[in-house]
Amino acid sequence: MLFWILAALLTLAAALAVMRPFATRKASPAGGADHDIEVYRDQLDELGRDVERGLIASAEAEQARAEIGRRILKVSEIAEQQQAGDTNPNAVRLIAAIAILAVPLVSWGLYIATGSPGMPSQPLQARLEQAPSNTSIDDLIARAEAHLADNPQDVRGWQVLVPIYMRLGRFADAETALRNIVRLSGESAELQGALGEMIVGRAQGVVTAEAEAAFKSALALDPGDPKARFFVALARAQEGRLPEAHAAWRDLAADLPDGSPWREAASQALAGSENAAAQANAEAAPGPSDEDVAAAADMTPDDRRAMIAGMVAQLDEKLRENPTDADGWRRLIRSYMVLRQSDDARSALERAVAALGAGSPQSQELEAFAASLGIAVE
Amino acid sequence: MSIELGHFALVLAFALALVQASVPIIGGQLKNEALMRIGEPAAITGFALVALSFVALTMAYVQSDFSVLNVWENSHSAKPLLFKITGTWGNHEGSMLLWVLILFFFGALVAVFGRNLPLSLRANVLGIQGAIGSAFVLFILATSNPFARLDPAPMQGRDLNPILQDIGLAVHPPMLYLGYVGFSVAFSFAIAALIEGRIDAAWARWVRPWTLAAWLFLTGGIAMGSYWAYYELGWGGFWFWDPVENASLLPWLAGTALLHSALVMEKRSALKIWTVLLAILTFSLSLLGTFLVRSGVLTSVHAFATDPTRGVFILAILMVFIGGSLALFAWRAATLSAGGLFQPVSREGALVLNNLLLTTATATVLIGTLYPLLIEAVTGDKISVGPPFFNLTFGPLFLPLLAIVPFGPLLAWKRGDLAAVAQRLFAAFGIALAAALLIYLVVDRTSVLAALGIGLGVWLVMGALTDLVLKSGLGKVAAPVVLRRLTGLPRSVFGTALAHAGLGLTTIGIVAVTTLETERIVAMQPGDSVELHGYVLRFDNLRPFTGPNYTEDQGNFALSRKTGADLGEIMSSKRFYPARQMPTTEAGIRTLGLSQLYVSLGEKTPSGALIVRVWWKPMVTLIWLGALVMMAGGAVSLLDRRLRVGAPMPRKKPAALPQGGSA
Repeated sequence: MLFWILAALLTLAAALAVMRPFATRKASPAGGADHDIEVYRDQLDELGRDVERGLIASAEAEQARAEIGRRILKVSEIAEQQQAGDTNPNAVRLIAAIAILAVPLVSWGLYIATGSPGMPSQPLQARLEQAPSNTSIDDLIARAEAHLADNPQDVRGWQVLVPIYMRLGRFADAETALRNIVRLSGESAELQGALGEMIVGRAQGVVTAEAEAAFKSALALDPGDPKARFFVALARAQEGRLPEAHAAWRDLAADLPDGSPWREAASQALAGSENAAAQANAEAAPGPSDEDVAAAADMTPDDRRAMIAGMVAQLDEKLRENPTDADGWRRLIRSYMVLRQSDDARSALERAVAALGAGSPQSQELEAFAASLGIAVE
Repeated sequence: MSIELGHFALVLAFALALVQASVPIIGGQLKNEALMRIGEPAAITGFALVALSFVALTMAYVQSDFSVLNVWENSHSAKPLLFKITGTWGNHEGSMLLWVLILFFFGALVAVFGRNLPLSLRANVLGIQGAIGSAFVLFILATSNPFARLDPAPMQGRDLNPILQDIGLAVHPPMLYLGYVGFSVAFSFAIAALIEGRIDAAWARWVRPWTLAAWLFLTGGIAMGSYWAYYELGWGGFWFWDPVENASLLPWLAGTALLHSALVMEKRSALKIWTVLLAILTFSLSLLGTFLVRSGVLTSVHAFATDPTRGVFILAILMVFIGGSLALFAWRAATLSAGGLFQPVSREGALVLNNLLLTTATATVLIGTLYPLLIEAVTGDKISVGPPFFNLTFGPLFLPLLAIVPFGPLLAWKRGDLAAVAQRLFAAFGIALAAALLIYLVVDRTSVLAALGIGLGVWLVMGALTDLVLKSGLGKVAAPVVLRRLTGLPRSVFGTALAHAGLGLTTIGIVAVTTLETERIVAMQPGDSVELHGYVLRFDNLRPFTGPNYTEDQGNFALSRKTGADLGEIMSSKRFYPARQMPTTEAGIRTLGLSQLYVSLGEKTPSGALIVRVWWKPMVTLIWLGALVMMAGGAVSLLDRRLRVGAPMPRKKPAALPQGGSA
């Protein structure tokens, strides 16, 4: 309601402004020529000052004075010709009425069409102070973030946020939160494990060297940490060193009591890996054929590694012929990383960027993907 | 509620601007005084309303009200307060609102300070201002409404482009717009004169302070923008011949020409039609700049074609105002009385030469800016017209212009004596020549260009001083007389001298930094040193730091002279803004005398070393100090008494006409 009252007052003020010239009777104003003559008189004064100061010779000053005089005469002549006749007062009144009416009509009409009169302002601070009922998860996160921005020492707050960030796939934020917890409560196997898991999440499931380092440091703090043991074994599996991985998973399952989630995870991974083998290249798009996988199951680790390397080389070759296949590049870079050939991965990325055009959205996406695996273009 | 009130105030300002655009002009045709007077209260009230609406938007930014679409798109609750405020115009919608605010501000100024104008001229000027204002407010309301709402409101905004999170945003756009939009007043005066069909020397005097004010702000705005790009973009360039920069340079060149031709018109009643045309062209170039920057046509002609609403709207505004004004000009110019003739060698002759060179230079910049767009629109090829084009075309036009500047103020009106003037400038020429030789022999024997260019700059400064020396009679009369004469000189004489000297300083800065700059790119480990121009820069360490809405790696460097004297620390950093996932570089700059040492961080090499770029920029600050001096010249001129011609006293009876007059 207050809004409409204020809007009405503004409109009234604007309409009054238009009406003003009709309300006040001014003394008959100076005619058009007077303003011009004022300027020329000032020019004459200035000329006088210049002569006094010796900036201009008196003969030239005389000429200039005559010139200005001619301008004054001319302007007076024109002014006399232009003497105004009185206009029809009815026409004037009509125009004024239209003008004054136009102000409220145009403004209210246009505002009703474009505005949102019922919508209140919503300053952030006021919203944060409101009761947090019926707010979405995003709101709650934003509240927690605002709270932590002011109280960065609140370990509890960071701890609450980490799993939420992980669930939402906001790995960079999860990393910040984790690093804050490490800062506040010191190193622990649990935190290092969580950090490693976060890096794996960011790399879309690949246990990168960076992730493995985090898990290794967790194991240094607590050699029995199940999460770290699980992921180190996964790293072996992704490298193609399956027997080592299987042994590690078996040991893990044996060490843990029944009902422990990591025991289950280890058993499942073991079963899955033994069944499908060649876990390392478990890709949706053109992966190894069933025969290849079957063959791989019977191979020695070295042979298996050679086979995988061969398939990667094939992919590499294919991309030389068809370098605009962004998904192919993605697969190739990831394969090289899994094979721990980071130099090859880097050169693949460089070739991909060159082929897709530096700065193109595709190559930017690819660079971001590669960065998440720990590779950057120079 | 304040947001909706701001929105309503803007709509109301539009309604008022419509009245302001029509009634005073109709009143002028009907010769009705009351109708003509409507322009003034309408302009002042309109400005108050737009100001209210602008404050409402700013408040929404300060309070992080993400129920406003525009705030959500361009702000973040963690942003420092200053950048929340400046963020108001750090985006398309908000900057258009600032544009309109300044337009209405100038309209209100004309209403308040225009009492010395004849009533009909004032009415027409305000009417045209109202027309421009209503067109642009309609543009905002129809295509770029900053008050569009968002329901439900998000809890966090998308943050402002990090490059804009800088003090530069607080100063550069407002100043640039004061310049751009300030030329609208000169434009309105020109159209008003064409409507009345009468134009004379008095008109030139009335229009001059407005042109001068706009020119002053535009000079400052361009210089500020150039300095901002210099320190923020991280590679120390100060001018890129980028279309956005050209868009601001074009009205500056035309406006400079206008400033000079109005002088001829005022003094000699000549060049009248040309001056009116220049006034129209200058503001047309401002409008063109607004179109180029605001339509998105610069990012890509195709991006423009896919969402053309904004671009087409501004293009329509452009057509109406530029096309309409030129048509009116073509129709009326023939009926205007042409001015007097004059000798080629005279002050007015020199000013015509100035105008010829300036407008040709404007044309070359215009071609260089528009040609790539045309090519892209017609053939689809993207070409870029870079510094080589401008150096080859703009340079040869501007250098002779600079060379003849000192002659202008020394030539007499009507009939000048070139030989006598040359004789008087002999000392200035000698000093400039000595400076050039000094640079060549002592500083750098490989660059003749540096010597000649710096000599040219010194010639400009000395030429400006010569004018003051001659006018005060220094060396000819006793010291007290000199002082009295100097203080008695019209302020505009100082204004001219300052502006021309400032131009010289800027020239010296540009030439010095482009020809004598040295650069080192090195990979540094902590503890490494690099030597440049007699200074030693030691890389100490790289430290992480967390700002309010960014994280950064701060590279700390210790600077010392080669002789060992310690000069303290330089900090240069690379920032990362997580909300936009964007990095920025913050250059470390140390000013040493007029020169600067510029340190910028690059990427890390695989071996862990940091790529560091170090530039020695000799006399680089003169580029912007010169602009400040030019602005000071404009300000001093603006204070000249001649520009404050009083209004005539209202006559009570015809018999009271001063000194009998013609009555």
